[in-house]
Amino acid sequence: MIPTFLQRAPIRRLLIVLGIVAVVELITGPPGSNQYPTSGFTGSYAEAASFFGLFRTQRWVEFVALALVAWGIVEFWTRFGATIRSRGSVALAGPRQVSEKRPVRVGFALALLVLGILLPHIVNNAFWQSALVTYVAIYVLLAIGLNVVVGFAGLLDLGYVAFYAIGAYTTAWVTGALPTPPPFGHPLDAFWAIPFAVVFVVIAGVLLGAPTLRLRGDYLAIVTLGFGEIITIFANNLYGITGGSTGTKQIPHPVFHVGPIKYTWGLAPVPYYYLALGSVVLFLVVFSLLQRSRVGRAWTAIREDEVAAESLGINPLKFKVMAFAVGAASAGFAGVITASADNFLFPSSFTLVFSINILVLVILGGMGSISGVVVGAIIIQVIQAYLNHTPPAGYQQPDLYIYVGALLITMMIFRPAGLIPSRQRRREITLYETSHEGHPDEVLLGDDV
Amino acid sequence: MGSFGHYLATHFDTLKAEFWFLFVGGVANGLLYAMVAVGYTLVYGVLRLINFAHSEIFMSGGFAGYFVLRAMVGSTVPAGFMSVLIIVLGIAAAGTAGAAAATLVERVAYRPLRRRRAPQLAYLISAIGASYFLFNLAGKEFGHLSVGDPQPYINHTVFTIFGAPVLMYDLIILIVSVVMFLALDWLVGRTRLGRGIRSVAQDAETASLMGVNIDRTIAITFIVGGALGGVAGFLYGLNIGVVYNMGFVPALKAFTAAVLGGIGNLRGAVLGGLLLGIVENLCVVFVQAAYIDVVAFGILVLVLLVRPTGILGERLGRTA
Amino acid sequence: MTAENVFEVEHVTLRFGGVVSLNDVSLFQKRGEILAVIGPNGAGKTSLFNSLTGVYQPQEGTITFHRADGRSMSVIGKKAHRVAGAGVARTFQASRMFSALSAFDNVKIGAEDHGGFGVVGAMVRGPRTRHDDRRSDEKTAELLRFVGLADRANVIAASLSYGERRRLEIARGLATLPEVLLLDEPAAGTNPSEKLDLARLIRRVRDELGVTILLIEHDMKLVMSLAERLYVLNFGSVIAEGTPAEIRANPVVIEAYLGTSAEASA
Repeated sequence: MIPTFLQRAPIRRLLIVLGIVAVVELITGPPGSNQYPTSGFTGSYAEAASFFGLFRTQRWVEFVALALVAWGIVEFWTRFGATIRSRGSVALAGPRQVSEKRPVRVGFALALLVLGILLPHIVNNAFWQSALVTYVAIYVLLAIGLNVVVGFAGLLDLGYVAFYAIGAYTTAWVTGALPTPPPFGHPLDAFWAIPFAVVFVVIAGVLLGAPTLRLRGDYLAIVTLGFGEIITIFANNLYGITGGSTGTKQIPHPVFHVGPIKYTWGLAPVPYYYLALGSVVLFLVVFSLLQRSRVGRAWTAIREDEVAAESLGINPLKFKVMAFAVGAASAGFAGVITASADNFLFPSSFTLVFSINILVLVILGGMGSISGVVVGAIIIQVIQAYLNHTPPAGYQQPDLYIYVGALLITMMIFRPAGLIPSRQRRREITLYETSHEGHPDEVLLGDDV
Repeated sequence: MGSFGHYLATHFDTLKAEFWFLFVGGVANGLLYAMVAVGYTLVYGVLRLINFAHSEIFMSGGFAGYFVLRAMVGSTVPAGFMSVLIIVLGIAAAGTAGAAAATLVERVAYRPLRRRRAPQLAYLISAIGASYFLFNLAGKEFGHLSVGDPQPYINHTVFTIFGAPVLMYDLIILIVSVVMFLALDWLVGRTRLGRGIRSVAQDAETASLMGVNIDRTIAITFIVGGALGGVAGFLYGLNIGVVYNMGFVPALKAFTAAVLGGIGNLRGAVLGGLLLGIVENLCVVFVQAAYIDVVAFGILVLVLLVRPTGILGERLGRTA
Repeated sequence: MTAENVFEVEHVTLRFGGVVSLNDVSLFQKRGEILAVIGPNGAGKTSLFNSLTGVYQPQEGTITFHRADGRSMSVIGKKAHRVAGAGVARTFQASRMFSALSAFDNVKIGAEDHGGFGVVGAMVRGPRTRHDDRRSDEKTAELLRFVGLADRANVIAASLSYGERRRLEIARGLATLPEVLLLDEPAAGTNPSEKLDLARLIRRVRDELGVTILLIEHDMKLVMSLAERLYVLNFGSVIAEGTPAEIRANPVVIEAYLGTSAEASA
């Protein structure tokens, strides 16, 4: 069928590289529309471009040149990659050992914290100061929360946005911005939304988790996705309770007022940044303590082998619900901060897309690795902020999701444990991929009765 | 309590009056769900995996059909032989596009993971990535706004059942889906290919020892399920129009249908699709249109919690 | 007063769809006894184990677990973690370790208390948590010493040898402080010298820790030397019961084994 010369490994790799480059060309090209459905394609391949600034040609020429370079690198790597990698890991072994020492880690974390505190003064630019809150800090908060569910407990939750929405709506409710009367009959300050939000999301986590977490992994994913959709539908349609599709625009800025201390957040983003940073630090501490506690060990046991865990007296459902509720708490916080910083909320911000975006942050850094997730979230969110702020030619905002989709697949193929994996997770993944017994829920061979 | 009784009484009156009308629409929807559900079930049967990207296969079919219609339908609505020709071409294009998209997903997002014997979580994430990539790429190339399909036939009432009109559209769905289900039943039940699919579904390891080419069988399963999903996307688009994220809700419902009938069970998928379509349509009487999707998801959650093996039970190998 | 029997299984029938996996099985185990269940492949041995530990729910019959403190528990209808918590520990046929964790952590997870504390309690390392943690560490170290893996404590479970993994699994089960330990083919995949060690270990578990042992095993030499009493299962039914000597002489058993496979020679 296929000519033999095409089946030779280097040629096959060249074809793959060419295919990938063609796709890259397409997704970086100009958009089309349903009236001119081919304009995206023709524009992507036939548009004029400068050949790396040397002479003018068409985009495909530039990209084929790029493909050849990429192919060369791939060929080089297949031939010499193994040696380079083994030398590299020998060279890195020393630093890696040092980096795992406790004082080094604590020192590193403190340095990062100082950097985090100084950051708004370093960037000193209105867009980036606000982006630090709306693009970065909030998303870090969400990502470390979802990491508890996906990374620690190994549960794929595609409805995580529901908890964020509950946090935001609670803020609106507590401050009297919804048609529903606020608690105790009179509006409270937005700051008081935090305890309410935490209680509500934890309750929601338990209510949602208790029935659904009995399900197998793939069913759980689809049911949580359904729940996320249901929440959006309700938020959109219950005009009398949520304000319907127009949401609300009257959420006041928070005020912290205990005794003589009074602080009012205003329009400026930097104070919100510190509020969010404080929450991030709080949850980082909480989650790393949990990870190292017996709860964390029980999560690991369930994730690795649920049947064995149960044979040791661990109640899987209880610990899964716990992960759900604990992970939800940080989303609730994020919801409060977003709603009170923005002063408005719309149900259209709480969709499946949002849940997936958070999932991407978790996966890029490395499921289960707190530091990895933080770094991953910062990288992606900064790129996103940059692209939205100064979009390159032909770039539209939703294009980001194309890259996100491609990134998810690429990560799963080449680096399933993430960029900065937790040591244990990396071991887990390589272990059941190399073991002859396979993993209990391995696809294709996973029918163990 | 009295007012609730009154509410039920009046709504049941409406239900009685509108029953056959809603029933016909429900069957048409249900058959579309069933065509998509079959794709989930086939892939689940051989891989024990929910193909999250199936919604985009549906979408590809929708767009392929749309472009055929755009090219073929002029300023007047065609009739007679021309209508049949256009619809057949649309089906062919949609089926091909669906099969191509499914193959692409299998090759790029699943096969490398299968080679590595990756855990289930990795497949799910990779599938979500594929879905995300495809529908957003469609959004970039074809715009983010919904567009109606040009009508290739006059959608008149062909005949009536108990006073309820059956439109040309309903009839087309009925004919196309029944033909495809019969063909599928024959393919899986009677041919060598089908035996391969069933043996992989039952026990992949043994099947491979018996000389069944697993890679090829899986590829064919994706092609068959993809073709059906693509055609369903085309038929859906005829009525609703096409847009980059058109696959999401119908696919979620089709998944519900597959679970309802017993995932991995082909006849179950058809039964589940029909049931879901009809129940959903009848619910229009009781709940506002905006909450119809909630009904479907509610059914999904309920089935998964109460009887996760569905009505007819799982197992492609045994019951197909 | 202490009940004499640990397990009482009466008329248990377990079906999967149309397949009968256990058919009207009745048996009992005395406290402190080393009891073995043998039978050809597919005879229902593992199904019996799964029924005893709450993993499977038989449709008919009763299974009663009598604890040393006099309390009894009806196993059918209970979740596996409840049964485990009541004092029934087990190992698995294809050993199921937490492969990415160290030997120490594997046992420690078994040693830890998994109920009666909240998220906050576990997180804030108060005196109570720290005390519990220290106790689990001590218990873990002690058990690793007991099974002879003290020097392998920090090794990842997946890099242990087959025999070591079997011993680790026993330690992990023992860490839950069980009254009965169910061993599902503990000698599978081990070499002759490891087998000998294992038999010695199992006997020590009973003699030194007072844990009752229920055993499924294919290796006849091991079973006959270890077990004090045996049940023979075939096609889901008990076909014989008795001491090793009685079983060896039982014509029904001989026929069952010779009629199916050559396992008796193993």
